[in-house]
Amino acid sequence: MFRGISSTLVGLLFEDGQLAIGALLALAITWALATSGGDAAQQIVGWVLLVMVLVLVVANLYRAGLIARARVSSARR
Amino acid sequence: MDPLTLAIHATPAFVASAVEFVEATTIVLAVGVTRGWRAPLFGTLAATGTLAIVIATLGVALVAIVPEHLLKGVVGALLLLFGLRWLRKAALRFAGIVALHDEELAYQREVAELRAQGLQRKKFDWIGFLVTYKAVLLEGTEVAFIVIAFGAAGGTALTAATVGAIAAGLLVIAVGAALRQPLTMVPENWLKFGVGAMLCSFGVFWFAEALGMAWPGDALSIPLIVVAFLAASWLAVRMLKAILPQGAEVEARNV
Repeated sequence: MFRGISSTLVGLLFEDGQLAIGALLALAITWALATSGGDAAQQIVGWVLLVMVLVLVVANLYRAGLIARARVSSARR
Repeated sequence: MDPLTLAIHATPAFVASAVEFVEATTIVLAVGVTRGWRAPLFGTLAATGTLAIVIATLGVALVAIVPEHLLKGVVGALLLLFGLRWLRKAALRFAGIVALHDEELAYQREVAELRAQGLQRKKFDWIGFLVTYKAVLLEGTEVAFIVIAFGAAGGTALTAATVGAIAAGLLVIAVGAALRQPLTMVPENWLKFGVGAMLCSFGVFWFAEALGMAWPGDALSIPLIVVAFLAASWLAVRMLKAILPQGAEVEARNV
């Protein structure tokens, strides 16, 4: 179990640091919003987290696509 | 337990565990076919016993001692991190940027490695035992994590997640035993794509609940979140395919 958790964290941090940092940042923002924003904020933190993570997924994959395209272009030259 | 609770909590654990069981079955089959069945069966039983002890001590202690909101928060964050990794890899595989996981290739590699080790017929096959023990233990711990994660709410959720994982195990083992060849017909990337979305969804759900949010309809929000993850990821796959030039997918993998 611990090996699985550590390999995932290491994989996320080293294979794709942007995704790991983005996810941890989203979790931290959500936590800060829930603890300092009062009752009203507490009832929307889930939706805020969901939107942040969805944007993160799309942005991260878009970046991966751009990197792959740049690699292909430079290899073809 | 009502059927809706069972469906919501048992299905994700069933699908996620099935992926892990398929990978473990491939190795057990490879050992059994090349070196005989005695050692891999003992290896599987020993790993199952070890897992049972680990789950009975660590898992139960975790659920019983750690406060529920803290457990949900930690498990939610871990689920989100796990799920994002699965989802990203599956999306890159669908777009062709990362090669698809080939169960047949994994099987053939394992068989070649095991044949290269040699076999002494009269002695107990410790190599076969250790290879299967390690594989079943590693994949099994991931199943244990999946069960704890999907059953983090405790009570019926934990029971449903356990039922889902056991059902997946029985189904995969039965099909593997009947076919005696790697389960290449399992659409692994589709499963990983779906499981990634489900892990992320449960992660968002538990983490927000740990912070005090009450989701509208409680667990009924989960399918809605899953759909949002699937839609965004599928959109990203289409976008990736549009970004890469025609026929460049395989090329992108190798540079």
